[in-house]
Amino acid sequence: MDLSYLTQLLLTTPVVPAAFGGIVWGILGGALPGISPSISMALLLPFTYGMHPSAAVVLLGATYFGAEYGGSIPAILIRTPGTNSAAATLIDGYAMNQQGRAGEALGISLMSGIVGGTVGLVMLVALTEPLSQVALAFRPSSYFALGILGLSVIASLAGDSLLKGLMAGVLGLMIATIGSDPVTGGGRFIFGNADLLSGIPPIIVMVGLYAVTELITDRGTGVQERADQSKARIVFPNAAMWKRIAMPQAIGSVVGLVEGCTPGAGGTVAAFLAYSEARRWSRRKEEFGHGSPEGVAAPEAANTATSKTALIPMLSLGIPGSNSAAILLGGFLIQGLIPGPMLFVQHANIVFDLYVGLAVSIVALLIVGYLIMPPCIWLVNRPKPYLSAAIYALVLSGAYAIGNSLFQVSLVLAFGALGFVMKYLRMPVLPMVLGVVLGFMVESNFRRALVLSGGDLTAFVHDPISAGLLSVSALFILSSAVGRFRKRASVSGKVTT
Amino acid sequence: MAERLISQWISFGSIALATGMAGATVAAANAAETYPSGVVTVVTHSSPGGGSDVFWREMIPHLQPHLGGKLIVQNVTGGSGAKAVATVADATPDGSMFYATTPTYIYTSLLANPTKTYKDLEPLVNLFYDPEVIYTAANSKFSDLKSVIAEAKSGRGKWGAANPASLEREALEEIKAATGANASIVTFEGGGDMLLNVLNGSLDIGVGEVEEIRSQLDAKKLRVLAVIGDNRLDLLPDVPTAKEEGVDVSVVKFRGLAGPKNLPPEVISAWEKAAQELVADPDYKKIYEANNLQPGYIAHDRYVKFIDDFAQKTEGFLKESGVVK
Repeated sequence: MDLSYLTQLLLTTPVVPAAFGGIVWGILGGALPGISPSISMALLLPFTYGMHPSAAVVLLGATYFGAEYGGSIPAILIRTPGTNSAAATLIDGYAMNQQGRAGEALGISLMSGIVGGTVGLVMLVALTEPLSQVALAFRPSSYFALGILGLSVIASLAGDSLLKGLMAGVLGLMIATIGSDPVTGGGRFIFGNADLLSGIPPIIVMVGLYAVTELITDRGTGVQERADQSKARIVFPNAAMWKRIAMPQAIGSVVGLVEGCTPGAGGTVAAFLAYSEARRWSRRKEEFGHGSPEGVAAPEAANTATSKTALIPMLSLGIPGSNSAAILLGGFLIQGLIPGPMLFVQHANIVFDLYVGLAVSIVALLIVGYLIMPPCIWLVNRPKPYLSAAIYALVLSGAYAIGNSLFQVSLVLAFGALGFVMKYLRMPVLPMVLGVVLGFMVESNFRRALVLSGGDLTAFVHDPISAGLLSVSALFILSSAVGRFRKRASVSGKVTT
Repeated sequence: MAERLISQWISFGSIALATGMAGATVAAANAAETYPSGVVTVVTHSSPGGGSDVFWREMIPHLQPHLGGKLIVQNVTGGSGAKAVATVADATPDGSMFYATTPTYIYTSLLANPTKTYKDLEPLVNLFYDPEVIYTAANSKFSDLKSVIAEAKSGRGKWGAANPASLEREALEEIKAATGANASIVTFEGGGDMLLNVLNGSLDIGVGEVEEIRSQLDAKKLRVLAVIGDNRLDLLPDVPTAKEEGVDVSVVKFRGLAGPKNLPPEVISAWEKAAQELVADPDYKKIYEANNLQPGYIAHDRYVKFIDDFAQKTEGFLKESGVVK
């Protein structure tokens, strides 16, 4: 793989156009709420049959990357998560937008995407073999513990009332039980509705709770009021900002690395875990939820890193690290290439081409992401009535597209109404979203681990990963409880004196 | 989680295109005297890039010359196949639309009680079987199926199946019942998760299609212990069948077609002819043998009974294991 091969690859094969094309298509697909990264890729699959093998896999890989980034654009601008993982970016991204800092939020999101993607790619190229061992080290008990670690954050994210936070979290967990029972395979709470057999997709819940709730709340604002005063320009982070977001980006990249290597978790879990870890380790915790740049940087770095690292188990073991990686695996199969241990032996050149293409796609994201921003910001600065109507159309058509059924549309609206009630009751929605995202992972792996151990609960202690993660979770919950207690004590102390 | 998300994938482009084209060709097909004269849509519940999808898209260029007409694949995902079944059940029975069968549609029909079930479809012909094999990690202590069973009898076995409601799970439950072994049957959300747990030694054995583990077999990370079918495989001539190992269990993962009820006789005969020619086609034979598929042509009359028997056996299994009442 010398320099002449590289020049030849870049100049004679359609790898560069494939990388740019994938990024453009990915950003578009990611930005539309009904089209997840995996669907964006799946829509391209039929076109890859006659394509140059390297170009085909690069196209799909670049689409994955672009879509993971694209989801954050509507999340920041119109409070509509384009992808599951963008729901984590939305929390602080939209808050920044409301403060007129949309350009800044988009700049941080783009640069964090570049950083996450670069770190992920470096890990993919340099450490595929050792990192594939991470996938092998994770057992059902470890996945359960990882899910619990994610849920433990509810204690610190709950806001002013721990009770309300827990209620919302449990509600989310309950929603996650709808669908097929993970052990018996029988239907649970599906009421004979085939649409519910595969469960309620998290994106439906997120779009309902965030986008539709906002639309309902917004209906009272006057026509004269502008959506926001954001300048139609993307603002890249300056040196001071880089310094501030470096830590959350590092946290996001590491979380993305682990989540990508372990099949089943995926970018959504990575984004939410990164968000909560960034908050946990931040010096300005109080800003989270109210427009913290760190809250944008961490999840964006995490989900874009995942879009690269999910290829590690896919390429080295033939086991995709996420749904989108599974589509890429389909793309390999179409080309007659079987991902797995032998790929590096039999088709090392394709793997090399994919790496080169993914590197090009990072440059492509920087260019396309920069160019696409002004029109996006211009669009959302249109008069409010037009904007709201357009968002309704986007959200409802997206919901329809997820399952090609009106049932999903009514679900989105129902979750929007639920979100409105929760807002009225001052109940935080983030714990509920976490419950929905992590519920199935926690439940299925808990039960699976018990089937595996013959009902012996000590399995969670014997697995070192599980034992470690569970102790950390316990520590976090304890410290947050103590913190809450102290805060209350100091507040009541002030009142009495 | 992967599996349930996979079922949400859809392909708008092909759906819009296919429904439009299928609608336009219904009239044409009726008017024409010979079948097929227009587009024939094969509906799969598999997402683009999934098992059935890739199988059909690879097969169509070879099937086309034998059948005539214009064959296309349409992905109708969602509801674990229930939507695809409903789409085909509601179509006009003129040979313009079929459902690509796998055991999945029987399981979904029995488990979820959807409005349209396998009973609303008429099996057309079967084309292939996917052999199911039992495998273990290359470095495991098990040398054959007998040693796996012996371990499960003396202690407790840990056996893995990709999905809870699947042919693989049924096969393991049958082996467990036939041998009286004490095994925990662990199910996952797809073959990949299970494969990892076989590789890292959490599970004694896993069960799945050869094609799913090809790469691991080539790399010598896995060993196949037995074939759960009637015959040994050409690819693995040294691997015995479960029956040879003294376990009287055999399952078949079928791949064929079913259409709406009341298919016209000329449609059935056209497909029976094309299917037999396809299976014998030397060019395609090279491909399907390389993909470890076994030719499994079943004519229409026998296929109706085959599916019915399969469904009854499966229903019995699901009731016995307490999944459905």
